Amino acid sequence: MEQKNPEKIPNWKSDFPISTEKATHISRREFAKFLGLLSGVLALSNGAIVIKALAFPSKPLEGDHFVCNEDEVPVGKMIQFEIQGDMVIPYILIHLQENEWRAFEQKCTHLACAVRYREEEQKIECPCHNGWFSADTGEVLQGPPPRPLPQLEVVRKEGKVYVRQAEEPYAT
Amino acid sequence: MSDFRASQNKAHPNKTSTIMTGIILLLILFVSMQIWFLFGALNNALEENLYFALTTFIGSLLLALASFWLLRYLPDPIRTVWKK
Ligand code: FES
Repeated sequence: MEQKNPEKIPNWKSDFPISTEKATHISRREFAKFLGLLSGVLALSNGAIVIKALAFPSKPLEGDHFVCNEDEVPVGKMIQFEIQGDMVIPYILIHLQENEWRAFEQKCTHLACAVRYREEEQKIECPCHNGWFSADTGEVLQGPPPRPLPQLEVVRKEGKVYVRQAEEPYAT
Repeated sequence: MSDFRASQNKAHPNKTSTIMTGIILLLILFVSMQIWFLFGALNNALEENLYFALTTFIGSLLLALASFWLLRYLPDPIRTVWKK
């Protein structure tokens, strides 16, 4: 209907009154400005990491934490436990052999899947991407994880199992 | 009457387009490098490697400043009226 009247500006033209050339030019300017903004945001977030590292360093675990009684975990088995700090961190406690205990963080260092001890392999497995850790030291044996599992020191007193911060973070 | 700038723009209509493309490509390069830095810093922050975080932050900041500075060279919006 409107096309028949040559005097009237068609709707689409009044909706988009800018010529194509100008439109692309402007949107590319906007895009470039957006990239500049993005660049600033990325620099800021990089700064946030530094501030976080400087102002809120992760505190080492203090004192001994009771986990369970020795007879609750038979040789070759593991249990999960948690330690309440500023964050709840899940750990696994492994009874490797008679008088051999290990405690590792349960989160895989790759993408934080839950790892578990495989008795028949005597290794720690991350089922998500087939990552394997040494059950003795927490080192990566195979697969994508980039770092060894963080380890705690296990102390046993009067038939009870406690964990505490290891002397070195990744003591072997 | 047209001035020198107007004649230039008429004679080389692709020039602003080329400049714009160059600027955008450079910006994309900067932003990609910053993403790479950020990724590395996040990974290393988990290992408490402060030195790495600091270095990438400074690098990222310099790149951001370079990006802002590049924006100064964006061609002006096209003006419809060339005539005086
Ligand atoms: S999350 Fe453990 S291997 Fe990927």
